[in-house]
Formats: sequence, C-alpha cells, structure tokens
Amino acid sequence: MFFHKLPFALFFLIVYPIYLALKGTRLRLPWLLTASYFFYAWLNPLYLILILCTTLLDYIVVILMSGTRYRKLWLCVSIVFNLALLGFFKYGAFFADNLNVLLLSLSIPYTVPVPGFLLPIGLSFYIFQSMSYSIDFYRGKIERERSFIKYAVFVSLFPRLLAGPIERAKNLLGQLHKTPKFSREDITDGLSLFIVGFFKKVALADYLALYVNKVYDAPEQFQSPALVIATFMFCWQIYFDFSGYTDMARGIARMMGIRLMLNFNNPYLAASLGEFWSRWHVSLSSWFKDYLYIPLGGNRKGNFNTYRNMLLTMVISGLWHGAAWTFVVWGLVHALGRFMTREMEKTSLYKDRIPKILKQLFVFTFVTFAWIFFKARSITDAWIIITRIFTSGFEKPDCPLLALVLIFAVWLYQFAHESRLKPVLELRPVRIGVVVLMVLYLAVFAQSSEQPFIYMQF
Amino acid sequence: MQDNQTSRIRDGSPTVNEPQVPFSSNSVRLSLREWLVAAVVFSVIFCFAPGLWERFEKFEPGPDYRIPYELSGNYRLYDRYCQWACSHYETLIIGDSVIWGHYVSRDNTLSHYLNENAGRSRFANLGLDGTHPAALEGLMRYYGQSISNKKVILHLNPLWTSSPKADLQTEKEHHFNHPKLVPQFSPSIPCYTASHLSRAFAVAQRHVPFLKWRLHLRLAYDLPSWTLNHLQWNPLRELAISDNYDKSRSASKPGRGDYQWVQLSTSLQWSFFRRSIEMLKARGNRVFVLVGPFNEHTLKPDSLNTYRRMKNEIEAWLRQNAIDYYMPPVLPNEFYRDASHPLSRGYAILAEQLFENDSFKSTILNPGED
Repeated sequence: MFFHKLPFALFFLIVYPIYLALKGTRLRLPWLLTASYFFYAWLNPLYLILILCTTLLDYIVVILMSGTRYRKLWLCVSIVFNLALLGFFKYGAFFADNLNVLLLSLSIPYTVPVPGFLLPIGLSFYIFQSMSYSIDFYRGKIERERSFIKYAVFVSLFPRLLAGPIERAKNLLGQLHKTPKFSREDITDGLSLFIVGFFKKVALADYLALYVNKVYDAPEQFQSPALVIATFMFCWQIYFDFSGYTDMARGIARMMGIRLMLNFNNPYLAASLGEFWSRWHVSLSSWFKDYLYIPLGGNRKGNFNTYRNMLLTMVISGLWHGAAWTFVVWGLVHALGRFMTREMEKTSLYKDRIPKILKQLFVFTFVTFAWIFFKARSITDAWIIITRIFTSGFEKPDCPLLALVLIFAVWLYQFAHESRLKPVLELRPVRIGVVVLMVLYLAVFAQSSEQPFIYMQF
Repeated sequence: MQDNQTSRIRDGSPTVNEPQVPFSSNSVRLSLREWLVAAVVFSVIFCFAPGLWERFEKFEPGPDYRIPYELSGNYRLYDRYCQWACSHYETLIIGDSVIWGHYVSRDNTLSHYLNENAGRSRFANLGLDGTHPAALEGLMRYYGQSISNKKVILHLNPLWTSSPKADLQTEKEHHFNHPKLVPQFSPSIPCYTASHLSRAFAVAQRHVPFLKWRLHLRLAYDLPSWTLNHLQWNPLRELAISDNYDKSRSASKPGRGDYQWVQLSTSLQWSFFRRSIEMLKARGNRVFVLVGPFNEHTLKPDSLNTYRRMKNEIEAWLRQNAIDYYMPPVLPNEFYRDASHPLSRGYAILAEQLFENDSFKSTILNPGED
C-alpha cells in the first residue's frame, strides 16, 4: 500500500475518522498499531513476523538492560540480532554471490546457495529506528518504555514505516505518550505537505524516470549529451521521489497530530559536502553520525582517525542503501569528496573569495557525478557511462526541455526560498496559485504511476 | 493556561512541549480559508475549462476524415466529430475497423468510395478501430448522442461472434478493446474483471465533462510522455495528427480457420448490436444495416456452414424487425487482407454493390421515393 495509490486513500479514509474518534481514549494507540500492521501486511503478511521479532527483541532487551549490570551484553544482543536480521534478508544474496565468485576463482568446487527471497520493504528503516531505542537507553538518554503497545507503534507507525524518516525514541515516543493536541491547522498543514509530496512523486519523479530509465537501461546506446542529461535528471528524480515520500509521510502524520522530523532541506543548495549531508536524508545521516561516526571517535583524534571514521561511515552508509558494489563505491566516492573538500574548505581563499553560488554548483556537480554509481546497474555500467560521457560524440544532443524547465522552476523556487525573495513566495496568491497549479497538473496529466519509491528498495 | 500553551504561530513553531520540528523546506502552506479559496478556484476550472477549451481548440476535419488511429480511445474527440459530421453529412457510417479502414489509407475507405459514387461528400466515416458491438453500443449511447434524425449505416462484423472469446463469453479474464465503453455493472460481461473502483471511474468519465476533457488532453496532447519521446521542442501538436496508419506491411494473411461460432440466441455481441439498432431508431435515425462481407475463403467447410446458418438467422431477424439491410456476396479472396478487412479494391466493389442495391437506394440514397 503506497501513499500515491488508491488503496491507501481508502485505507486512510477508514482509519483516520476512527483515529479522530478515539484520540482521547485508551484505544487510540491499539487502533494505530492495528492500522500500521494492516498497512504493512497489505504488502505481504509474512512481513509482520519480522517487524514483531525486532519490536519484541528490543523491547525485552531494554527491560533486561534496566534490571541488570550486564547492560553492554544486552546491547550487544540487540545490535547483533538486528544486524543479523538485516544481513540475512538484505545482504544474504550479495554475500553468497560474492562468496561463490571467490570460491570459483580459487577453484573450490562448492557453491553457496543463494537466498531467493526479496528484501522486506522498510526493513532497514525500522531496524535502525528500533536499534536507536536500545542504544539511547543504554546511553541513558531516554527512559524505558513500559507499554509494549506504545513501543510497537513507535517501530511500526504506518506513515513512516516503509521509508522513514528514521525517528528517535525521544521525539516520537514522547509524542505517543500524550494525547495529541491537534487543531485544524494540523490538518491543513498536513494536507499542504501531502500535496507537495504527491506532486513531487507523481508529476516530477515518475516523469523524469521515463527518460532516466531509458538511458540507464542501455547506456552503451547513448552518447554524451543524453548520458549527462539523464544523470542530471536522476539527481532530481531521486530527490523528488524520496523527499516526496517523506513529505507525504510527514503530512499524514501531521494530520494525526504527530510531527515527524524534516528529512530533506533543499539539499542541492548545499555549499559544502558536509552541509549536503546535513540536508539530505537527515534522519539517516544523523543516525550514522550519532551511532557510528561519533562512537568511532568522530573528529577528535587527529586527521588520520577522522578520515578513517569518515570513510567507514560513508562506505557503511553506502552499503545500507543496497547490497551491491555500486553502493559501496558511491559511499567511497562521497568519502573521498569529503576528504578533499574538508581541507579546501578550511582555506581562507575558499571561505572568503569563492562566491556561494559557485560552491553550490561545485557540490551539486560532485553529488550528481556520484549518483552515477548509485543508479547504474553495475560497476561496469557506471564505468561505461563515465567513459562515454567524456569520450563519445555529441551527435543528436536531444534535450527533454519540459523536464529541464520543471527542474529549473523547482531549483529557482528553492533558491528563492532561501534568499531575500522568500516573502514573495509567502504571499497568499502565490501559495494558492502554486497549489492550484499542482492539483490541476496532477488531475489532468499525471499518469497512474507504477514506479515504486526508490528508497523503499533499501 | 492550557490554551496559551497550545496556541500556535504561523511560522511552523510547534506547541509548547512539542518537539521543535520545522514545517517544511518550502512555503506551500495553506490555512483552511486558503484551502477553501484554492478549492473554489479549482472548481471553477473544473466546471468551465472543458467548455472553454472546446471554443479555442481547432478542429477542422478534412475530406475523408476519420478518427486518427492513435486517438481511438479519445471518446471526447469522437463525440465532437459526431457533432461535426451530423451537421456536415447526410449519412453516417458507423462500425469497427472495417468501416474505419484498417489496412487502407483514408482515401481508400468505404466512405470514400461511397462519396465517389455519389459524386459529392454525403457519407462520413464514423468507424472506430476495435469497437466490437458491446463497445459500439456504449459509444453510441454516451458519445454519439448527437446522432439523431440522421441516416445511419450500421455495420455488423460477424467476426465478433466467431468464438466465445470474441463474444466476451469466457469466464477467464482476457483483454478486449474499449473496456470503458462496455456496460460496467449490468448486464455483466463474464470476461470483464476490472475492479469496482475502475468501473465506477469509467462510468464517471462518461458523464463528467472535466473527466472527458482530461482523457482528451492526455491522449491528444500527452505532454509528459510526448516531450520525452519527441525530444525537439514543440509541445503543442495539431489535433488532427497523421492517420496514415498502414498495417499492410506487418500483417500476414491467415490460413483457413476453424471458427467456434457462437449461437446467436446466446451471443452477447449480437444482443448489444440489437440494442444499438433500437437505440439509434429510438433517436429518430433511419438505420441501414450492412453485414460483412466476411471473408468466407478463410473458413473450413464445417465452419462455413455454421456461419451461413448464423447469417440466415441474422437476416431473418432484420426482416422480422423491418430493418433495411444488405448482405453483400463474398468478395474475391485477393480483395481481403484478413478474415474481415477488405482492401482498397474490395471497398470500391462494395460501394458499387451498395449503390446498386434497392434497399440501400430507398433507405439511404432516395428515402423520399419508397
């Protein structure tokens, strides 16, 4: 059940009024849990077993942690079990495939069976969220949650179940404790967020996908201009796709009186790679920062250790996105980019003399280049794309102008939003006009989309 | 005190004790009143845009016009063409791809040769590719309402009763043409298994002008797909796009077939065809039925006998109901492309035969003289 599909509209039309009726009663959370589990089981009822395992494990581990001296042991149990679950379902086939290649190259006549099941949607997101609860409790940052129902809602809350944001217990569990105090503004704000997200996904991301997929499915058939444009368009496609999902998730939660964190903050306006990661998929970036980068030592133990920690964090972050070497290389490229730019950003020449727009352009170009590894089907394909960008001809420089115009309009809007022109965007006629145009475009031109959300595959 | 705590300000600040969460990274944020204004603006567009669009959209069909093949699903265009044809032509020819002229260019269709025989433009080609009788009945009912008090040649292609599958009788789901035109709820079509929601939407699309207009825009000016498939900048193409569609190069002539003809008494397609006749007559039209000519050369002997028996039943029903008709003799095999589609020469012969047919003369050519 996806937010931009009709079954979800029907689901929400049933769930929401009952939620409103129950909001002041003890039945609110049981109802929310039932709805969330139904939402997840709609995709595959077997998924419920996995989410229940994770939920029960961390709930029990924290109970055991609170009554014993062996807190670290129980934390290890939680981390090992969660990572094992993730490793088995997400990386099982990847490890088996690579092991088989290795065995073959060593002439060892044995083949490891490759698991044939699909990755349960949302697994990486709720496992990380559940792990953050046990880690935060271990660190003494949060209290133990006594109600299993509340904890289960925290892990499975349907607006954010499939692709985040990866919320922290401090933010989300705290909200579940209280009766939601929401006004009609929460409903109108939620609707505003949902419409923007819906437009980003259906009208922009899925539209750009038509061109991007055509080029990336057969890169050897295209020349430099098409490959450059497709890469540029993918850069925006993945942003519209994922931030669109997040907007919809936040909008739905907002309508229910729950505030989910801001996950995207106009990332392509970042003036440094560090800033990019504080604007892109903020919930994951901050998760890795808090639970991996800082525990590894962060930037406190000299340059070598700082860069080692950055490298590890970025490579693991890459691998989190998918079980393929392309994601590892993507993480590696970003790590190398951080190494280079971190030193450069310290110089007064770069800090004071280079105009911000040039810095933004540089970061955008670098990030766009790195997306090649993210989108390509294999390292070979990525290499073909890169070499053909620089070596193939410039014949037939066909240009999907409507797509580029739409992208430019969005960039201009974001640019204005972060500049002195922001008051113009806040004028009532502008805001209403933007909404009417979006709804009209969706009503007239947007096709019934069969494109899945990109990040749900992670 | 509680009220003060929960009071909110418009910059996205949460209530006291709630987490500090920014609203969004854009300014698209409407209050209830602004949502209502947006709803009113959208409603105005919803109500008036289709009508305004029609005033400004150029639609000037030339001689031998037919609905472009790629726009076969654009029923609003068909509706508009019906209105135009009713005011410009004496006689409308309605049917499936046999009338449309699937394997011939627009100046080699039946309507063209009839006009040639008449010496002027009297016959409009209102054929639409793929419209089996069940779909044709829906097409006439919802998008051909302007066809009243006209002379109508209604074509019956026996191919649609050549098997339970073609007759839409099979229980197993299968794809068939123009599902949005067939009855969505009643009478039930066994092989049609669309969800209730999509059936309801199909019904709404027939009646709500905005939805008709939306379908028209998406088919005639599918801007998103079009811009990606035609990467040169030219977003607004002409409505009357090229219809030089010619399948003759890709189609091969079938061998002799053993058709599983269905009984007329149980045939869905035949019942829909009869409903079409009744509907057209009820609107004051003078209906002339053209049956075939089916390519009997493709039939095995047993199948041919069954087909002829069925044809006799059709003829008996038409006589019994006092409906003028013509059942042309089978054309030479080389004048067919497949089981039911004549080629250019076939259409020319058929037009000549019609002009010599007494019933055609009295019903269509000289209705005042009978």
